[in-house]
Amino acid sequence: MTTSLGADLRLAWQLTRGSDRREWWRIALTATGAALATGFALTAGALASLRGDHYTVSFAAGLLSEPGTRSGVILALLLLLVPVLGFLGQCTRIGAVHRDRRLAGLRLTGATPGQVRRIAALETGLTCLLGSAAATVVSVPVLAAVWERPTVLTWVVLALVAVAVPVLGATAGALALRRVVASPLGWVRRVGPARPGRGPGRLFLLSLLPVAGAALLAATTTSDTTRGPGQWHTPMAVFGGLLAVGAGSVWLSGATCRVVGRRLAVRARSAATLIAAERLRDDPWAAARAHAAVLLVTVAGTGFMGVRHIMVDGLRRDEQLGESVSYYTTGLNLTAAAIAVGLLITLSALAVGTAESIATRRRGLAAQVAAGVPRAVLNRALLLETALPLAPSLLVAGVGGLTVGAGYSTVTGADVLPWSALLVPVTVYVGCLLAAATALPLLGRTLRPSELRHT
Amino acid sequence: MSNGDNTAGPLLAGRGLVKAYGRTEALRGADVALSAGEILAVTGASGSGKSTLMHCLSGIVRPDAGSVTYAGRQLEGLPEKELSELRRTRFGVVFQFGQLIPELTAVDNVALPLMLAGTDRTESRSTAGEWLERFGVRAQGELRPGEMSGGQAQRAALARALVTGPEVVFADEPTGALDSLASEQVMTALVHTAREAGTAVLLITHDAQVAAYADREVQLRDGVVAPLGVTA
Repeated sequence: MTTSLGADLRLAWQLTRGSDRREWWRIALTATGAALATGFALTAGALASLRGDHYTVSFAAGLLSEPGTRSGVILALLLLLVPVLGFLGQCTRIGAVHRDRRLAGLRLTGATPGQVRRIAALETGLTCLLGSAAATVVSVPVLAAVWERPTVLTWVVLALVAVAVPVLGATAGALALRRVVASPLGWVRRVGPARPGRGPGRLFLLSLLPVAGAALLAATTTSDTTRGPGQWHTPMAVFGGLLAVGAGSVWLSGATCRVVGRRLAVRARSAATLIAAERLRDDPWAAARAHAAVLLVTVAGTGFMGVRHIMVDGLRRDEQLGESVSYYTTGLNLTAAAIAVGLLITLSALAVGTAESIATRRRGLAAQVAAGVPRAVLNRALLLETALPLAPSLLVAGVGGLTVGAGYSTVTGADVLPWSALLVPVTVYVGCLLAAATALPLLGRTLRPSELRHT
Repeated sequence: MSNGDNTAGPLLAGRGLVKAYGRTEALRGADVALSAGEILAVTGASGSGKSTLMHCLSGIVRPDAGSVTYAGRQLEGLPEKELSELRRTRFGVVFQFGQLIPELTAVDNVALPLMLAGTDRTESRSTAGEWLERFGVRAQGELRPGEMSGGQAQRAALARALVTGPEVVFADEPTGALDSLASEQVMTALVHTAREAGTAVLLITHDAQVAAYADREVQLRDGVVAPLGVTA
């Protein structure tokens, strides 16, 4: 069976329209993620289209008027794309079982594996287009209202971002399914290297690459060009640092899940710990996908809190500031807000991922309860799956962030060790447990005997 | 094999059971009784209410009307916690698939009910190993369900259902996903072990060959128990 892209697109649209309630959740959440990504990228793009220092932007105590601080804001906006990518990654997993059945149905009607992957990728692209279009429709009037005469470059950047988000969404969908071959008889297998779960980790890293590249480009093109060749050092360091911390987070999350699962599975004395530990040991990278973004936010948050503590301390003592105190504190507060938004998105991704893992196992979970496993044991196992691997990972992330603060303290000669920054990993840990706990009502509904009637 | 209820002091009895899912009436006044150590096959076409009858009798779902009595105790008034404990300690449940936790090894799956009852893990695993031995799958003890054949996984599931020494085992189409050879192995293992331990078995099946393993057979038609050979 050979079909044109147009026919595939029509079929993808029909499949999207005919989705059931669970898939509508995936569509709504993926579109929300795409809208967030478009919003952050559009704002960053609009700011990046400002050239030189002859602009006066009334927001944020004049922070956006200067190229140097403007590039910092752009960088922060682009960094916010990292948790959004993590969120989108979790959203695409919702309803995976239904998707697999649909793919099998397509194969049964004669579609080739390549066509099936293309149709599935187009479905993702259409969903992202929905979010991208919504964000663009809201952004354009806002831009027109706050900026008298936006430049042609600004409009070009806006159009590019609006198109790029659905295209990247479809590409990521195709990449995620590149090793999936749906059989006409209803089962789905993965081909290629036999190390399940590594793919999504690599995909997360691959998706970091364009974000880091865009951050590098933005930082270099919007910074002050009068400072000579040294201007490359900071952006390059940020680029390298982002990739290194991203790779480290994915690796650390997966490795921690595997080690914690393996150790506890042997030593577990309670049923809940045994179930949680074996799930971690079975597929450590599934948990790592959600936890990697948590670690990134924790490192950034702890490091920032340390730096903030030292800077605020310095501002109090410095009597010869170049700008008003509010200029500096506004920048710090905006950064704190950006990190808080990043944490919120990351926790949402964690909640979505936890809910999806329950939905996928719903019949098996109902069978456990039918066989007499107490609901409380399954509730505890669910929370332990989050609590056990995150505790050591967040400890390391917290120490990493504190080291950043301590390093800054040494460089500036502040002689202050910002211990208060350690509250960040504790807060993130509690937040993660609460995010996982939001899935408990769904678990309660899943454990109903009626689930035994579903296949 | 005989027809009709065994009324001589039943261990488990359902009387006038009614259960509806929305507008669909799965049970419409079903009566059934099971004696201690008896193997009873409940047969019937797809949609006749077999699984719902098993769910009501095992306390998995509460009937809309009628009563379930186990060892002289009415199940209707028991709170969910006690019903759960009953299924864990006095009943064993086997489904067509899905009852083993995919992430646990076979031996840990079988050990789980003992651990839930407070037995030390080492002791639980040791007992579980013995039960896997009885069902001929000890060698697969450290494999996960996905790494075992369907027949091996189902025998591990039987070991898990019987490890606590239950008085009744509920088996819902236990061979539904197996080939004829694996079906025979599973049924032989179940019947042999149940007879040895004096465990009663309520066997839900649409397969006449599987039903032939039972002491007695009742047939469900449109939610009521019908005499064998009579169309409702």
